Amino acid sequence: MPSTDKLQASAPKVVPSGILKDLRPDQVVPSKNNPRRLFDPRPLKDLKDNIRQHGVLVPITVFPIRGQDKYSILDGERRHRCCVELEQEGLTLTIPANIVEPPTKVAGLLYMFSIHGYREQWELMPTALSLEIVMRELGEKDNQKLVNLTGLSEPQIERCKKLLKFPKRFQDLSLDTNPQTRIPSNFWIEALPLLDLSERVLPDLTKDLTRNGVTQKLVDKYRSGAIKSVIHFRRVMEAYEFAQPERKKVVVDRIRHYILNPNLETRKAFDEFVLDNRRIQNAITACESFVSDLRGYKLRYVADKDNLMAALEKVRSYVDHLISRLEGTDPPPPPLDDQPREKS
Amino acid sequence: MFERLRCFIRARWRFRGYEPQPVTVKTVCRWVGQFSPPDRKYLPTLLKHIRYVDEQETRRILFDLNRQLVERLANEGIPIEKIIYVQVDEAGSSSPFMLGLLKNDARLDRLDCKFVDSRDVRMLRDTTDSLEEGAIIYVDDFAGTGRQFCRSRDFVIPYTVGNFAEFFLVPFICEEAVRELAKRGVEPITAGIHKAEDRLLRTECTLVAPKIRDHLTSLSSRINPKWALGDRNMGAMIVFYRNAPNSVPLILRGSLNQDPYVGILPRSTDLPPFF
Repeated sequence: MPSTDKLQASAPKVVPSGILKDLRPDQVVPSKNNPRRLFDPRPLKDLKDNIRQHGVLVPITVFPIRGQDKYSILDGERRHRCCVELEQEGLTLTIPANIVEPPTKVAGLLYMFSIHGYREQWELMPTALSLEIVMRELGEKDNQKLVNLTGLSEPQIERCKKLLKFPKRFQDLSLDTNPQTRIPSNFWIEALPLLDLSERVLPDLTKDLTRNGVTQKLVDKYRSGAIKSVIHFRRVMEAYEFAQPERKKVVVDRIRHYILNPNLETRKAFDEFVLDNRRIQNAITACESFVSDLRGYKLRYVADKDNLMAALEKVRSYVDHLISRLEGTDPPPPPLDDQPREKS
Repeated sequence: MFERLRCFIRARWRFRGYEPQPVTVKTVCRWVGQFSPPDRKYLPTLLKHIRYVDEQETRRILFDLNRQLVERLANEGIPIEKIIYVQVDEAGSSSPFMLGLLKNDARLDRLDCKFVDSRDVRMLRDTTDSLEEGAIIYVDDFAGTGRQFCRSRDFVIPYTVGNFAEFFLVPFICEEAVRELAKRGVEPITAGIHKAEDRLLRTECTLVAPKIRDHLTSLSSRINPKWALGDRNMGAMIVFYRNAPNSVPLILRGSLNQDPYVGILPRSTDLPPFF
């Protein structure tokens, strides 16, 4: 396994070419990975006002695009966007730019990760496939090292790895360009524990259908509309985990029936085993009394804080993990076209 | 009768080889006949301002544009084997068809360039992964707003790996699409930018008197008051032998299924099914 030093050496390097140029906004193109909703309008307006008054003070970083007489942005998307808008308002200005060498393939991917970290609704599959290339090129699979390299969080890396566990033919269902038929990336992440569970508790079914066959059954079920939300897979896991020993067999039989019957809806199949509300209410009460108890101890000025800090860190780590688990939701529905599509 | 004759001569001569519905005496007479005699006198003016691109011209433009681009890229250090041609829509629509024409005419199959369907995201990703740098050339015949192209392109591009200049090889393109492409750094390679001022029924156009323009627009509005000038009311006046863009005014295309209004240059999807 490569050392961290070796990995860091392969991390994105901006190789300066020693040129500082003044570029017109139309000579600069945004990064191809730039999500258009990246920027909050308010700070952008402040920056724009500032540039209107003083011009661009800090140079942006760009690299030449071979084949085009233009430069792609590595750093400075916001400044460039402001300049484009100001130009549309009739202001003529140039942007000082540090010209650097084009990034290598891996450096470009690592840069993309840093952008994806800021996306509001980022699609996980491109990130997962890019991570696959980075792992292959650098020979690195360790989560913590990948966190350091990519800037992605460990749960994000974990989710990407889960996606990569699926065979290509299933991954490709999330690459469908038609949003109406595309299987969302979260489907695979949420389905994975159920597939593992069914392999464990229904070995005969997995033997008959194979694991891919069971996966296909879940895809068919999703396509038939029997999975209203991919997070409903969690109900299956909860139903199994919380079932009393004498009820386990009933739940396992229900899982078998659920997998084999494409029209059986998830909640209909498992709600009777799940006492969601009571558990959630208990957890909320526990959170409230935890915070209230801590407040009661008036800890703000304690001098001997090391043990306390360690304990709080543990709490934070658990809470972060839990929040990130709970945050996994369905992707937003594709935008509705209210007008006819352009065709030629 | 005189207007019918004028329209026929103009249309039959200019729109030779229009594939969705050939321009014949019958189709011209049906089209002209649905307008009242006072309205008919404006129709020859409308037909006069259509830019019709026949098969020969389409092929020539595509071939020439591609040759110039490939030479330019070679001069800038991008050899043909680092070029990926991408079709941006489903089989049977204009993009794969145009790429097919170009492939045959320029004998691209004999070269070492790559061909990818933009819907095959995996292949695009694997191809860019193996090449690491080069150029992506999207091919189509026309772009109106550019929205459809950008939607396809924006979905697939995050899956590409490495540094690739992007080009959109397209015989004609509307200025609205040029703006959308510029935001993404995609360079249009085109024979002509179709500006709003060149589109007869747009208010920006000064080629005819406003009275004539408004009159023709009102005739188009009878078919669909909301989208009288076609998709997004672009009012495009370029028609290809293979099909008219959907951004062409409805007065030329007629109603869906050609009922109640018929068009002189209907899109294939405007025509009723045979069965």
